[in-house]
Amino acid sequence: MQIGRRDLLAGAAVAAALPGALRAQEQPRRGGTVTVHMGSEQRILNGSLRASTGVYVVAAKMQEPLVELDGEGRPVPMLAVAWQSAPDGLTHTFRLRQGVRWHDGKPFTSADVQYTAMEMWKKHLNYGTALQLYLQAVDTPDPHTAVFRYSRPMPQDLLLRAMVDLGYISPKHVFEGTNVLENPANTAPVGTGPFRFVQYERGQFIIADRNPDYWNAGYPYLDRIVWRFITDKAAATAAMEAGQVQLSPYSSLPLADMDRLRKDPRFIVSTRGNEGNAVTNTVEFNCRRDFFKDVRVRRAICHALDVDFFCENFLYGFGKRGTGPIPSSSPDFYTPGMPQYEFDRRKAERLLDEAGFRRGAGGVRFRVRLLPAPWGEDIALWATFIQQSLQPIGIPVEIVRRDAAGFLTAVYRDHDFDLATGWHQYRNDPAVSTTVWYRSGSPPGSPWTNQFGWQSDEVDRLIDDAASELDPARRKAKYAEFTRKVLEEVPVWMAIERQFISVTSARLRNHHNTPRWPSSHWSDLWIAS
Amino acid sequence: MKFLAYAARRLAASLPTLLILLAGLFVLLQFAPGDTVDALMAQAGGGDAVMAAELRRFYGLDLSVPERLAAYLWRLVRLDLGFSAIYNKPVATVILERLTPTLLLMASSLSLAFAAGMVLGVLAARRVNGWPDTVISTLGLIFYATPSFWFGLMGIVVFAVKLAWLPPGGYGTVGAGYAGLRLMLDIAWHLILPTVTLALIFLAIYLRIMRAAMLEVLNLDFVRAARAKGLSETRVLVRHVLRNALLPMVTLIGLQAGTMLGGSVVVESVFSLPGLGRLAYESVVQRDLNTLLGIVFVSAILVIVVNFVVDLLYAKLDPRITATG
Amino acid sequence: MAAFRRYLRSPAPVLGLVLLMAVIAMALCADLVFPRDPLALAGRPLQWPGTNPRFWLGTDGSGRDIAAQIFHGARVSLLIGVVATAIAIALGIAIGAVAGFYGGGVDTVLMRVTEAFQTLPNFILLLVLVAVFGSDIVTVTVSIGAVSWPAPARLTRAEVLSLRNREFVLACRTLGMGDLRLILGEILPNALPPVIVYASVVMAVAILLESALAFLGLSDPNVASWGNLIGTGRTVIRSEWYVSAIPGVAILVTVLAVSLVGQGLNDALNPRLKERT
Repeated sequence: MQIGRRDLLAGAAVAAALPGALRAQEQPRRGGTVTVHMGSEQRILNGSLRASTGVYVVAAKMQEPLVELDGEGRPVPMLAVAWQSAPDGLTHTFRLRQGVRWHDGKPFTSADVQYTAMEMWKKHLNYGTALQLYLQAVDTPDPHTAVFRYSRPMPQDLLLRAMVDLGYISPKHVFEGTNVLENPANTAPVGTGPFRFVQYERGQFIIADRNPDYWNAGYPYLDRIVWRFITDKAAATAAMEAGQVQLSPYSSLPLADMDRLRKDPRFIVSTRGNEGNAVTNTVEFNCRRDFFKDVRVRRAICHALDVDFFCENFLYGFGKRGTGPIPSSSPDFYTPGMPQYEFDRRKAERLLDEAGFRRGAGGVRFRVRLLPAPWGEDIALWATFIQQSLQPIGIPVEIVRRDAAGFLTAVYRDHDFDLATGWHQYRNDPAVSTTVWYRSGSPPGSPWTNQFGWQSDEVDRLIDDAASELDPARRKAKYAEFTRKVLEEVPVWMAIERQFISVTSARLRNHHNTPRWPSSHWSDLWIAS
Repeated sequence: MKFLAYAARRLAASLPTLLILLAGLFVLLQFAPGDTVDALMAQAGGGDAVMAAELRRFYGLDLSVPERLAAYLWRLVRLDLGFSAIYNKPVATVILERLTPTLLLMASSLSLAFAAGMVLGVLAARRVNGWPDTVISTLGLIFYATPSFWFGLMGIVVFAVKLAWLPPGGYGTVGAGYAGLRLMLDIAWHLILPTVTLALIFLAIYLRIMRAAMLEVLNLDFVRAARAKGLSETRVLVRHVLRNALLPMVTLIGLQAGTMLGGSVVVESVFSLPGLGRLAYESVVQRDLNTLLGIVFVSAILVIVVNFVVDLLYAKLDPRITATG
Repeated sequence: MAAFRRYLRSPAPVLGLVLLMAVIAMALCADLVFPRDPLALAGRPLQWPGTNPRFWLGTDGSGRDIAAQIFHGARVSLLIGVVATAIAIALGIAIGAVAGFYGGGVDTVLMRVTEAFQTLPNFILLLVLVAVFGSDIVTVTVSIGAVSWPAPARLTRAEVLSLRNREFVLACRTLGMGDLRLILGEILPNALPPVIVYASVVMAVAILLESALAFLGLSDPNVASWGNLIGTGRTVIRSEWYVSAIPGVAILVTVLAVSLVGQGLNDALNPRLKERT
């Protein structure tokens, strides 16, 4: 029921949100090339088909979503200039920006929105398929109006926040009548964004050049963006220090190097601009096991882990104790003051004794196998720390290393694990990718869902109610109740709360000024001389 | 013509081996936990069961193993390497794109190891058990014993970051738009560190072979005779000794071709080179079966070709062997 | 005895023997010097060598004592090296001997298989095996052994081929000796020396292969191997380079020692080269 600030251009909104007297004095300089470090390669560079930071960091410069977040984390116009929702939450009307052209010269219309929503988000986009499950149709009364019709109430704030990630539009005329997944435009994006795709050399680099016909006149400042694939993290730091790369987003450098570069005046190492992409390190219990069936054992494990010590000594302070599935960086849904599992080894031992798992031969209570996800240095460190922390309370841990495919299959399909640890990614709203970790009913084989052999009717009901609750205050209260409940039961413990770290050359200006900046359009980014 | 027929015969003789190898790997990888769709989901950062099922149907992963194996072999017979799910391209294209850096890297490393090994081997053999011999042999062994990734990373730290003499990685300056000679120089510039890193592993072996071969040959009657005739040391060396000592070294090239490709997995990963070795590692991790089998096929052909060339060289060097034999 | 004296005459093999003994000694006394679990949290992570008297080689990124890991790692690396080599040499001898002794069809088939394995880069096969069967220490060791047998097999076959028609073999055959006794009792003892010398190469490669696997994050994380230590040190190589440098040197020394001993044995058993000078 809120009319978007229709006359605010996205670029202007971004510039207005920028604090700092120094920045304001500097005159933006046009031209130049920014080279970005990429730690891994994506198969599809299309935000309408793949929701992933690794996709956005490239594709979002060429493609645009309907809405974006401003510096304060509020949805602001991109390809949609205004939106309105019916009181029953069943229809949402988007007014689209006029005079926008695709990179191939064709006009952008509501038909593109309709096609993308029905054929891509609803059918192929990860998380999108779940979000748009009850989307029935997108009506196009005129070329600049798109009306989303749902069969179940859809809260406007949920839709808008989710659409920041899950709302990228693709051109209908390029995809229609082709095999959507195999379309060549998936690796050579055709969009409406500030940069135009130029070249993609597999395993080496991607190049995009300034779009001179960009709808936001005067932008972008840069002439070119180059993304370079450097898989070895230490080598990537070397490339940054040698001045070959100006930006490494999403914690892609070694923690030790990021800590070292913090003191180097040539770089800015910060989590700023990543507030919208909170990550928590998990401790996932297989509650089918005799020992983890008992909630006291699960709680004992939580009590045995000194999270503060870990964050301080192993993560160089890039992280803090997690307080629940909803991170503290999401004020619209976060409720402070929830009960916590403080570090207390003696309490852990007592809980284990009470549960009947007393120390046997060699002081061993029981043995567990821990599967760490193979991405992220912090996961490997955390897994080792779990091993080191559980040994003293009589639980020897065997770490089982698997590659990505092996890990996902073992944990989320075959349930062949006792403990697992990886990342939970929070995407602006708990209903997008968080509650699935607790909701029962996900079929085996769905990664990052509740495959823990644990189920609670009460939690299931809370999750469903909250997802279709239209009143923001009541919605927040429901999530608070949900948080309290899952903290009590801990089928999975969100132990550490972190934000992605970006390492940026100090010569760049206007960077990290929105909550999901590395995934945004960068049209106002420029290089100081 | 004779050579061509010989080459064709050699290739035909290796084909059954190759087919068995590919089928064996295909079956072996079926036991790996997870498939390429799982890897795709991990890459995309999430997805649901419906999407996974649809992708599996799309890539034909819902068929039974024998069905897929039969389909694969049938395609192979028609020289079609199939389609890569991860790269979204025909496997042949993916491999072709990655072949040049690896070939360049292997060729330059082999040449360097060969040349340096030869020179050092000769130096060592001329004063056997003297201090140059001891120093050279020990140095060779130290290079051989150093893990190559460690050597590469240290090379980056010293030569790229501290001294800024060489680029820290990559295959050419990105987006520089060089062409012709400038492009070749640029690539060569980027390949210096990787080449040295990969060559050092093999340097010790060539050095050892060269030294041993030299010692063996120096002792033979005809060399003694040549010396007795009063030929200068250098002429004896070049005319009689080198020619014979080259034989085992050339043989070794054939044997090392496969090992070198394995070594390039690590070196390419350290220097972010877009080569075949890294592609192989990635396709194992991503369960990209078609690509992996394609690489095995291509590298096997490569090894066969190298061995064939070695045979020809052999025939040139040693007149007793004829290529037709 | 003459061979032994020849071995001791030049300095390099003696140095190799001394280094190898030192590594073996480290492996043997690991439990005495560092009785604690080398993988346990010992102190603050990434302490430089020499800054804390408790950890004279410093601590790694997980707060584990590097010196303890080096000592315990000697055990693991030697074990991986020896067991993988034993597997490779045993397989190689069996296949090579059978192929060389019987010749004909058996030989052709076995050599085709050997060729197939040699055509396939062994490190890539190793990656496949580890991806399929997991990366616990047993799998890693067996896999390394399983990819290293073709060269010993060829070597054995060549030796057996040259011995097969010698007088003493033919004599034994006319005496009615069975194939198995002939191979095991008469041919192999004569064919073995070069193969045993070659084992030093296999062992050196095995240790390096494990470290390369660990570098790619695919070795067993539950044992204190040098490769793992390098793997964890990989991310801090720019600042705390000692974490990977120390085990790197340990690997270097061990591989060097094994190679020097192998070379010494080769020269000692093959005296023609040495005596000339």
